[in-house]
Amino acid sequence: MVRYSFIEPKAKPLVSSFSKIWILFISFVSLLLILFGLFLLYKIHSYKIGAIKTKNDRVLLEKKINNKDDYIKYLLRQKSLGEEIYTRNTLLKNSMKNLFDLVPDKITLNRVIIKKDSLIIYGKTPTKDTFNFLLSAPLKSIFNTSNTIFYLSANGWYNFVSTNKITPTDSFNE
Amino acid sequence: MSKIDRSLEKINYIKLLIFLVIFIFVTLLLISILILPNIKKYRVARGEFNQARVHKIRVQSVLKEREKELKKLRLDNWKIFAAFKHDFTKEEFLTSAKQFFNKATLKNVKHSSYTKEYDVYELNVTSTLKTPIKFYKFLDGLNHYNNIVQADFPIDLKSNGKMIYSSFKIKVYGLPKKKNKHLIKSNPN
Repeated sequence: MVRYSFIEPKAKPLVSSFSKIWILFISFVSLLLILFGLFLLYKIHSYKIGAIKTKNDRVLLEKKINNKDDYIKYLLRQKSLGEEIYTRNTLLKNSMKNLFDLVPDKITLNRVIIKKDSLIIYGKTPTKDTFNFLLSAPLKSIFNTSNTIFYLSANGWYNFVSTNKITPTDSFNE
Repeated sequence: MSKIDRSLEKINYIKLLIFLVIFIFVTLLLISILILPNIKKYRVARGEFNQARVHKIRVQSVLKEREKELKKLRLDNWKIFAAFKHDFTKEEFLTSAKQFFNKATLKNVKHSSYTKEYDVYELNVTSTLKTPIKFYKFLDGLNHYNNIVQADFPIDLKSNGKMIYSSFKIKVYGLPKKKNKHLIKSNPN
């Protein structure tokens, strides 16, 4: 075969370098966009999962708050009952102290029965007037009804039974 | 026609325009299909997540407040709560009562429940004391006793000149426990 050229022939590429650069560039940009799209999809998914988990956590925390509220209410009921009982004991002590402070030295008490709405006193008094002026008057100011029966004893003193009643709302215990 | 690739030396403007158009088309297509709708979804998802996180933080702070409140309540009233939990025994009560009374005995009356949350044991106390002051001190002492104990009516005080014989009821409040019942029943007087 006769050669007409001094240089070796080179096969012409099917796709020119210019086209290759463009195709590579377009492919690279497309790949970047696809990767960015996939990254967005991943983030959307992780945010959704995160939101569901956070909501579930919140529901659990709300349940815990409800339980704590119930327990606080329960303890508050316990506290108020305890304080109420302590107050009742103090009131009872004060009522009894007031009652015994009310009794003058001249009058001797033999028996005292304190009920929720009544007070019965058994005792001795030198005269009916001593009882009526010194003990009956203050008792009448406290109780709604106050009745006293006197018995003359052998030494000239009077044994008495004083029954005093009060309406339930104003009783000792309140 | 030359077989040597001179495409980079001599730029074909028509080809350049075609590639440019293809590039713009592909880029816009991918942006409109992949990026734009997902950016909207991403913003919505991020908004929902942030909202959920803010709610959770608020609820967490409420829970912390409740825990603080509970701790304070327990600390301020530990004596009452401990007294409700403490198991009542007759021996312990009588030992304490003997500080005020010369003689004291206890007798079971009844066991009932109070508002379903508490067990109430009613007991009768009979005691001998020298002065009513001891009785006042006993009532004061009830408020410092290991259990929640209420002195109740009727209170009967009899005097023979030297000593005062008293008879009264006490109510012991405790948390419902089978153990408490057992302790009271196991120590009958």
